[in-house]
Order: sequence, then C-alpha cells, then structure tokens
Amino acid sequence: MTAVIHEQQAVPQPKQHGKPGGFLRHTNIVTGVVLGLVLALVTYAIGGLLVPWGTENSNFLQVGESALVAATYTAWVIGFMIGIGAFAGPIRWWLGHDLTHADAEYLAGKGQGRGKYWKYTTDHKVVGIQYLVMGLFLLGFGGLLAMWIRTELGVTWAEVFDPNFYNSIIGTHGIVMVIAMIIIAAGPLGNFIMPLMIGARDMAFPRLNALSFWLLFAAVPPLVSNLLLGGMRDGWTAYQPLGTQAPVGMIGYQVCIITFAFSTGIAGVNLFTTIVTMRARGMTWNRVPVFVIGILAAAIMGLVWFPMYQYSQVMALSDFAFESAFFIPQNGGSVWLYENLFWLLGHPEVYVIVIPVTAALMEVMVVFLRKPLFSYKIAVAGFAGVVGISSLVWVHHMYMTGWSPAANYPFMLSTELISIPFGFLVLVMLGTIWRGKVWTRLPMMCVYALLWNKIVGGITGVYLSDVPVDQYMHGGMFVVAHFHFMLMGAGLFGAMGAIAYWFPKMTGRMLNERIGSIGLWLSFFAFQLTFGSMFVAGLQGQPRRVLQFDDAFNVSNWLSTIGAYLIGVGMMIFLYAIITSWRSNVIAPSNPWGAKTLEWQTATPVPLNNFPVLPVVTSDPYDYGVPDPYLAIEKKLSDENQDTKVGAR
Amino acid sequence: MSIVDDRPAAADQPEEPTNRPEVTYRLREWLARPYVRPILTMFVLFCLLVIPIAWLVVFFMNMSGAPASDIMSEIEQTILVFTIVSAPLMSITLTILLYSLFGWGRVTGDEPPMQESPAIRSNAIGSYLWIGATSVLAAFLVIWGLLALANITASSYGSIPANQQPNSTRPIDVNVTGQQWVWTFEYPDQGKITSDVLVVPIDTPIYFNVTSVDVIHSFWVVELGVKIDANPGAITNTGVTPNKLGNFNIRCAELCGLHHAYMETQIQVVTQEQFDSWVREMGGKRTV
Amino acid sequence: MSDLTTKSELPVPRSATTGEPVITTARRNRLGIWLCIVSDAAGTVALLVAYAYLWSLNVNNAWAPPKDTWADPLPFWLIWAGAVVAALAMWWAVAGIRTGRTGQFITGSVLASVVALVTFIGQIVQLSTFPFDITDGAYASTTFWLCIATALHLSVVGFLTSAMVGRFRAGRVTREDHSHARLVAMWMTWVCVAVFLGAFFATTMNTSPNTNSPTFGTFQE
Repeated sequence: MTAVIHEQQAVPQPKQHGKPGGFLRHTNIVTGVVLGLVLALVTYAIGGLLVPWGTENSNFLQVGESALVAATYTAWVIGFMIGIGAFAGPIRWWLGHDLTHADAEYLAGKGQGRGKYWKYTTDHKVVGIQYLVMGLFLLGFGGLLAMWIRTELGVTWAEVFDPNFYNSIIGTHGIVMVIAMIIIAAGPLGNFIMPLMIGARDMAFPRLNALSFWLLFAAVPPLVSNLLLGGMRDGWTAYQPLGTQAPVGMIGYQVCIITFAFSTGIAGVNLFTTIVTMRARGMTWNRVPVFVIGILAAAIMGLVWFPMYQYSQVMALSDFAFESAFFIPQNGGSVWLYENLFWLLGHPEVYVIVIPVTAALMEVMVVFLRKPLFSYKIAVAGFAGVVGISSLVWVHHMYMTGWSPAANYPFMLSTELISIPFGFLVLVMLGTIWRGKVWTRLPMMCVYALLWNKIVGGITGVYLSDVPVDQYMHGGMFVVAHFHFMLMGAGLFGAMGAIAYWFPKMTGRMLNERIGSIGLWLSFFAFQLTFGSMFVAGLQGQPRRVLQFDDAFNVSNWLSTIGAYLIGVGMMIFLYAIITSWRSNVIAPSNPWGAKTLEWQTATPVPLNNFPVLPVVTSDPYDYGVPDPYLAIEKKLSDENQDTKVGAR
Repeated sequence: MSIVDDRPAAADQPEEPTNRPEVTYRLREWLARPYVRPILTMFVLFCLLVIPIAWLVVFFMNMSGAPASDIMSEIEQTILVFTIVSAPLMSITLTILLYSLFGWGRVTGDEPPMQESPAIRSNAIGSYLWIGATSVLAAFLVIWGLLALANITASSYGSIPANQQPNSTRPIDVNVTGQQWVWTFEYPDQGKITSDVLVVPIDTPIYFNVTSVDVIHSFWVVELGVKIDANPGAITNTGVTPNKLGNFNIRCAELCGLHHAYMETQIQVVTQEQFDSWVREMGGKRTV
Repeated sequence: MSDLTTKSELPVPRSATTGEPVITTARRNRLGIWLCIVSDAAGTVALLVAYAYLWSLNVNNAWAPPKDTWADPLPFWLIWAGAVVAALAMWWAVAGIRTGRTGQFITGSVLASVVALVTFIGQIVQLSTFPFDITDGAYASTTFWLCIATALHLSVVGFLTSAMVGRFRAGRVTREDHSHARLVAMWMTWVCVAVFLGAFFATTMNTSPNTNSPTFGTFQE
C-alpha cells in the first residue's frame, strides 16, 4: 500500500490498524478530564484507607495527608494524559504499529471541524490556538488575583483578607502570571507562526507538540485548586523551609511546576529541532526572520534551565510529603540550596519571556515602518549575548542572603554586563524607528509601549543589579515595580502587539483596532500610574508581600490601586476587542499588512499542509524601503569636495 | 553623545576613501537636516528632567528619615549617581519615540502604505557610538558599584580586628535571632542580656550575627541601610556604625509566613551613657 | 498521476507520514534525542549539585545518617555495570542491523532488555534495603533520590529496548531504516554516564569535610 503525500510522492505505507487515528478517534478533553478525575478519586480513596487520617509527624504536620494529596494530584495528571490519548503514541511505537499517512492526517485534525481543538491534535496551528486560549485564560485569572491584591493594599485601614489567603493569592498570582507570560508569546506564536515563517509543513515532532500543550492543560488545575486546599502561602518563589509549613495547597503548586517543566522542556526540544532542521530551502542563517531567532533563544534557555526548577520542586515535594531533608536545616538541608536551584531558572526565565516578545515586535516594526530591520547582526548578537550571560547572573537574587558575600562582586559585574547586549536590542529597535514613516496601527503602538516600559525596566534593573542599592531595595516594592515593568510592561504589552499583528493570520479575521486601542492606551497609562507609584513606595522603604504597612506609604498605595483597577478595565476592553473580532469582525485577506515574511504568503485560513508547494527563499524578509535620499546629497557633497581638491591642485 | 549618532548608511556605500567628504562637511550636512536640531533640543531638554527626578528620588528616600549611618549615605549617593548616569539613555529613547510619532511623517488607513521609508540597513558610526556609550556607562556604573560595595563592606565588617581597636570604639556584638514573627537581640559581651528592641550607642561599630530558628527572615534596619537574611541553620554577619541619635525602623524583608507584615521593631540609637545605664537596667555588665 | 508514481520508484526510503527521506527524519530525531539528553542532564546536575552542596555544608551536623550507616558501595557499581552491559549489547545490535545481520540485532536487543530489567529490579532491591530511611538526614535524602532517578532512567531504558524487540518483529527495524535503534543506544549511553555520576558521588563522598557547622538556632559553631 502506498499513499500520495503532498501531491508529490507515492510512499509505501505500513499496515493500517483499524480506522485512521485508531484509539485517538475515541479520546478528547472529556474522556481526559473524566479519567483524570476518576483516577484521582480512586487514588484518594485507596490512599485514605492505607494511611489513617490524623497521622502527625514531630512537627505536627499531617504527613499522611500530604503524601495522599501528592498522589491524588499525580493520579489526576496521569489519568488525564491517558484519557486524552497521550500514551497511544508510545504504545503504538512499542508494538511497531507506526502511523500511516492517513493516521497522521487524522491526528492533525483533518475533517474534524472545531472538534479538533478539544482533541490530542498534532497540527501546529491547532496547538497554537489552544495555547492562545490557555494563555488568555491564565492572564485573566492572574489579573483577577492582582485586583484582589491591590484591593487589600488599597484598603489601608483594615485587613480585607486573612493573612493565609492573602499570602496564597500573591503566590498564585505570581506563578500563574509567570506561566502565562512564558506561554503567551512562545506558545501561540512559536507554534502557529514560527513553522509558517520558516516555510515548514509542521513542527519537527507533531505529537510532542500536542503533548506539550496537554501537559500544560493538566498542570493548571492543581495550581488553581491550591486556593481551595488552604493555599500555597509562600509567594511564587515558594522559599523553603517556609513551604513545609504551608497547607497541602502547596502540593498543587509543586505538581503544577513539575508537570509544566515537562511541558516546557518538550516544547523547547520541539521548537529548537524545528528551527534547526526544517527551514525552507535557501533560508540560510542570515535570512532567518529575527522572531525565529528569538524563539530559538527562548527554547535554549527553557531546555537547559527548567529542569533545575523542576528538580527543586521534586525535592521540595519530597520534603513536604516524605519528610526528606533537602531544605530542612534541622535535618541537614540547606535553604541556600533551594535559592540557588530556584534562581538558576528564575532569572533566565525572565528572558524566556522578554526575548520572544522583543523579537516579535521587531518583525512588527519593519512592516509598519516600511523599513528594513536596522542591523540584523547586532540583533542576533544581542540575543546571543543575553542568552549567554543570563546563565551567569542568578546570584543577584541572593545578594542579601549572606550565601557568599564574596560572590556578590563577580555577579554584580555579570549582571551589569547584561545591560550591554540588552542595549543592542534597544539600539536595533530605535535604529529601525529612526526616520521611518509610521503607519499608526495597533501593533505598532505596542512597539512604543514596549520600548518605553523596557527602558524603564532596564534602567531600574541596573539599579537593582548594584549590591549597595539592592541592600536598600531588596525585598521591597521597588523590586516589584521593576519586574512588573519588565514582565508586564515589556512582556505583556509586547505580546498584545504581537497577537494583534498575527491575529488576522491566526483567526482569519481583522482585529477591531478602535476598541483595542482604547484598551491598550488606558492600560498603558494606568500601568505607569500603578507601577510609578510602586517605585515611590519602594524608595520610601515599603517591604513587598505585606498586607499592612506604615501610614507613610498610604498615598502611593492608593494611587497604585486606582491605577491597577484602570489596568483591569483596559485589559477587559482589549479582551473584548479580541473576542468580538474573533467571532464576527471582517474576514482578513491573506496579507493585510503587506508583509514579506513567509507566513503572510500563504492563504488565510492556512491550509492543513501550510503551503501547496514549499517555498524557496532567496533573500532575507526585510526588503522594504527606498534608497536613502540623503545618500544622494552626500554623494554630491563628496563630488564637490573632490572638485575643490582637484581645483586646488 | 548623539551629535553624530545617526548618519545615513554611508558605510554601505562602496566608495573610495578619498572620495569621502571631510568630517566637517558631513557633520554640517547632517546638522542641516530638518529633523536633527529638534531632536537634539528634545534630547537636551529631556536630559534636564533628571534634575527634578533626582531630587524626587532623594526626597522619597528621606521621607521616613535621613540616613543614619555611613552605609546608608553611600547607598543614597549611589542611587543618585545611577539616576544621573542613566538620564542620557532614558532621554534618547524618549526623544526618538516621541519625535517619530510626528517628525518623519505618519501614515494612516487600512491599506499598506505605498510610501516606503529610507532603507537604512546599518550604520557603523551610529552603532559604534551606541555600543561605546552604553559600554562606557555600564563600565562606569560597575566600577562605581564595586567601589561602593567595597566601602560598605568595609564599614559593615570593619577593617580593623575588634581586639585592636581603641576602647572608646570597641565594637559591640549583637546576636540577632529571627523567629515567626519577632526579632530577639542578645548582647553576648554585656552579660547575655536579651531585648526585643535594639538599643545601641552612637558612633560605635555594631556587629550583627544573624540566624533564624524557623524560616528565612531578612534583618532590615531601614535608615541605617543594613540588610541581611536570617537563615535557619546558618549564621550570617554584617555590621554598621550608627551616626545619628534617634529611633529607626527594623523590618523583615523576606516573606516569612502569615504575619510577615507585622514583624517590625525599632532600633534606638542612644549616647554611650544612656546605653550603659540601659545595660545596667537590664541586669547586664557594663561595657568594658 | 502516472508521472508521480514513477517518482516513487526512487530507491530512497521515505517516511510514511511526511514523505521525506528517512535520512532527513533520522537526522531530525537525532537532534531531538540530543536535546532530551541535554535537558535530562540539567536535571541530573541539579541532583548532583544538591548532593555535593549538602555534603560540603553539613548543616546542623546532620549530613550523616544515624550511627554513620553509609550505604554499601557495591550495589551502586553493580547497577552501573548492568547499565553498561545493556548499552554495549544495544550498540552491538545496532552494528548487526547496519550490516544486515538481523540475528545479531535480535540477540543484542533481547539481551539489552533482559539486562535492563534485571538492573531495574536490582535498583528497586537496593532502594528497599538501605540501612537508613529517607528521613534520616541529608545524605539519606539525596542518595534516595539519586537512586530513584536511576530507577526512572532504567525503566525508560527497559521500555525502549523491549520496544526494539517488538518493532523488529513487526518489521519496523530494517537495514535501510534502523535509526530508532541508534537513538535508543545513544540514550542508553547517556544513562550509563548518569548512573556512573550518581554512583561516584554516593560512594566516594560520604563523611562531610565540614565538621564545625553551627548548631541549629544557636550561635555556637
């Protein structure tokens, strides 16, 4: 038996086992959730029989309960993955029942309508949309928690929440937003747009692509449900040994991170391999769009550093549920070990968020300025420099821990050095704006928002990289304002621009820019108010993660809370624009912006195989613009100069 | 800094070096372009904004009290220097962003614009200037920071061993213990008296040994610029010489559980006589 | 259509799902496995760092297990030897299939999966017979987790090697297309390195060099 693939070759096929798709014809999100819940309940019931309730250890912690909750959460993840069909692939491989072309097409969602978005679908475009919706959900949930936090801090005369719940929501807000920001650019755009951009038919490992999304999906319920199980209480860093005092909600956080790290690692392998091996013919390394380089940089950092964070949580879970001694000083554990493992990922993770977004907006700005990218090489050098140095700066989160006062000197040096490659990226963006005629559309407006926030965040970052300054600022509101400028100001506003730019390609409809712009600018100015006031609170000396504070900080906190509510309103308006446009706005043409990268050269909606014929690339995608008129003037001046020289002679 | 920052892509032109105009010609031509002078003016004006901003930074930092030690003065000075040095970078970004919105032409409408912008793919002079300027600024800040760190480390730990110092400034050891959610101060050389308020004599080096009995806390004496984590299972050290009388804030700067926000106490900087009588009141030995 | 069919007569074996030459997909898969190894190595390094760091600190003098009952070194090295034998058998099998000796392939992969299974059982036995519990100090905790990591690695090896047997019987491993067998062997080589590092740490770094760590909650060194 043979099959004709991409209308080119007839390829011999392995034996077809059953209908195309096999077992996966019967699985979808419903079977996944049902089986996950059933397995979790069964585990909980059996475990409850084995471990009598009320078993306490010497610290009066409910040991049995912790192990039971850990097992239940793990059962949920495994059950869900079985139910969604994640194990069908390995089992078929083990049996030698390899996929036929018909199987692969079924798995990619051929002829399944909207049902494919609820299944273990391998098509990169489906995975991209799934990531987008998941990212928006997480941003909404994290934003809601942010409103609660600001409410607590704005009501300076009383405690709105009890301390346990307040500490839980600051931690949950933090980690939800970090996960949301990691996936909001690299997820939808890295999956949907990047393969199109390099002229590939799909990702390198389509089934791993589906796996990475559904692992993320499985990781979210444990995290969200921690609030129902007493909360995680310890901030998003979940420093130990404070974590071992928390209610069992802490385990939700740990299981979420362990699962999410698998998801990120798999996505990193997939993105990296796709970019390195699947570029269209002629797309040499100096013709690769800069966004692809950005995704590559993020994939490298995620691959290398996420396992550190994952293992720190494995150890923390072991401490929590099985009383091992990694981070319990009484039994020989070290708090500094946790801090090191955590921040080994913790800092590169910031660049995992910021770099893809920055690179995406570089793609945006060339289109809306009709100008080539200013100095592609400096941009690539900037990404490489940031990736390289980012692995050598983590100790700046630990200046004040007393871990190693002597290490503060070299790490201060490396941290301040990272501002130089980071400056390269700013140079590229400013150089591209220089003398450009701006086409004032919503994605381009996000470039302005990103650049301003990034420069504020970057400069305050240089403050904090300095040990003496950090001695005053560490653990204070200045730090909070700084990283919100970076992660939200640059990351989220940049992601809004990138999503607005690729919205027509991804959804097939134009974005309602009138409403979107109102949301964007309201959020932007409210953002300045919120976090500008937070800088003031930090300078005044307000510690972070407090729910009550001295009256001296009242005014800046009130302003901050007002700003936060306005951000909430602005973001709701932007979300409204996205949802209504997605449902019913005008149909988008295939290349509404007149852009030159490959993803705009194929039809909208994108066909299953992306390109009828795979493209061949002959130049880089930045061939915009007209010859510089000032060059002619300069030439003339030069000639006159030559004449005078000749005359003098 | 940006005088010759942004030239057209002359470097792309494969011209013979002898055909190039003199530097002055090029500079004059550049300055004559309609966008250059507005941009330079905006740049200078925005740079001047650093004066009120720097004033505000110091104002906010001093709202809860002026520096009460050399360390805090050094920190405040460093923050001021960083603010001033970062002004040109801030200013050039703001200038280009704002000017580009109206200065070089703007296109609206739904269709991709027909009018294209100049194809500037690179600019050697501009790039070198930017990279050079940011590197110089970063290098200056690194060197300033390293020196400042060496300074505050010297005044934290003291460069002279305790037993060689003259009696009048013989340092006082304080053992600081953090626990949820109180600070305890023990004076080992004053007969192991303990207190929940830190009382120290002015102009005397105070050495802190810090630990915790449960979770991580961070010992922060706000107006004295002292901060060090209190780690369970480890002892960390720092120190300070207070130079102002009065009561100042001690806070916890690391999330330490439910009542982290309330883990506050005070440091009272008093004269040597007051300190001695306080020690006697607490039942301890007089300072040697 | 007839033109297209003639193209399929080309001798290049192609992937059934994407139609690309199997050389292309094999190269892609190899990069993927390398990246998986990098990622797994990062996690292994995290465990080893935890071991070495806690060993060097000896916080609260609680590194050593009660009464200094260190784990017996022999089982660590036996397990490592098992992993090495399995990997060598797999490479031998790969060498066989490359030259078309299918008998050598099936012998090698059956041997590899049997050895992997025995080693895995040995690892479980070692985990259940340690003279200490996971709660008995930092050495106990880190050693337990190093061995759990080894057990997980070996279980993956068992899955992969036994799959080679099944896939061969289903006709999916041939002289022309045996790239998956090479990938399995690559992975097993890395597992040998990981198991070696764990065994090396757990058997050579026992008594902590730091003998004067402060007692918890006090200022006495």
